Amino acid sequence: MRKIDIELLVGIFVIAGIFALGYISVNLGELEVWGKKGYTLYAEFEGIGGLKPGASVEIAGVTVGKVKSIRLTRDYTALVELEINNNVPLQDDAIASIKTKGLIGEKYVEITPGGSEHLLADGDKLRETESAVDLEGLLSKFVFGKVE
Amino acid sequence: MKKGFIIFTVLFFLFLIPVRSYSSEPMKQLRVTVDKVLEILKRPDLKSPDKEELKRKLLREVISERFDFQEMAKRALARHWRKRTTQEKKEFVELFRTLLERTYLRRIEQYSDERIIYKDERIEPPYALVKTVVVTGQSVEIPIDYRLIQRSNDWKVYDVIIEGVSLVNNYRKQFVQIIRSSSYESLVERLRKKIK
Repeated sequence: MRKIDIELLVGIFVIAGIFALGYISVNLGELEVWGKKGYTLYAEFEGIGGLKPGASVEIAGVTVGKVKSIRLTRDYTALVELEINNNVPLQDDAIASIKTKGLIGEKYVEITPGGSEHLLADGDKLRETESAVDLEGLLSKFVFGKVE
Repeated sequence: MKKGFIIFTVLFFLFLIPVRSYSSEPMKQLRVTVDKVLEILKRPDLKSPDKEELKRKLLREVISERFDFQEMAKRALARHWRKRTTQEKKEFVELFRTLLERTYLRRIEQYSDERIIYKDERIEPPYALVKTVVVTGQSVEIPIDYRLIQRSNDWKVYDVIIEGVSLVNNYRKQFVQIIRSSSYESLVERLRKKIK
């Protein structure tokens, strides 16, 4: 009787351990086991300057979603798939811009909400976008612009 | 059978033609406006300083034909637009238009020998994007994109993106911040002071 108790205890412990491991791997790996947490929007950019899948989507500095995937379109622009949390409605005149954290930090997508009556639904396209600002390009323009 | 094919072909081309001519409309209309602006700037009889007022008046007329200042103001105010009364909206559009004029008209007047290249256009009715590049005398290229919206037969500009920076977004961020930190009234007050 006593022996069974110990074995049972070990069994429960092992099962609990497996669950904990599963939970950690799902959370750390940002896997979607329980389905989508938000709705999907697409945004087309001229240049994304090294934006990576998994990068955050922010409004006023608050993370409201993430970049799900990025692919190249036939026009050689970048089509970014964004997953936005369900509790954050966005208007069809909202503007998505690629920004850099700090001067040389990682890239993220910033959204400035609009004021239109039309809300974007799952699968819609965010038409208004601002591409990543090419600092080196601007710098060289400034330099060459000064040379006469 | 053969007859059916011919009818089909004729119908097919009939449907194709309007789509084709329509597809280049935004760029064409924008080009007409830009050409008119350049024409005014190049007119020798308007070069003297005492003609400046007349020149500005002409420019204003040509530009407001193509630019939808109400849409711009609406987009710049974002969610605060809906809270305004009709009277306030009207007043704000006028303020915003004057602000843009004060900021950009002088730059347009500095035009000397820049070339404008029309690169590309993308249309997703009722929206369109026309991409242009301004090449300055020192052959520096400045990309300028225009976002247009269709209003019956006319395409109207509602946003200008210079070097990847959106004009509407620039003002939207500033306006929203000012309204948040103080009030709409103080934003109007500041705009009034700015354009004086």
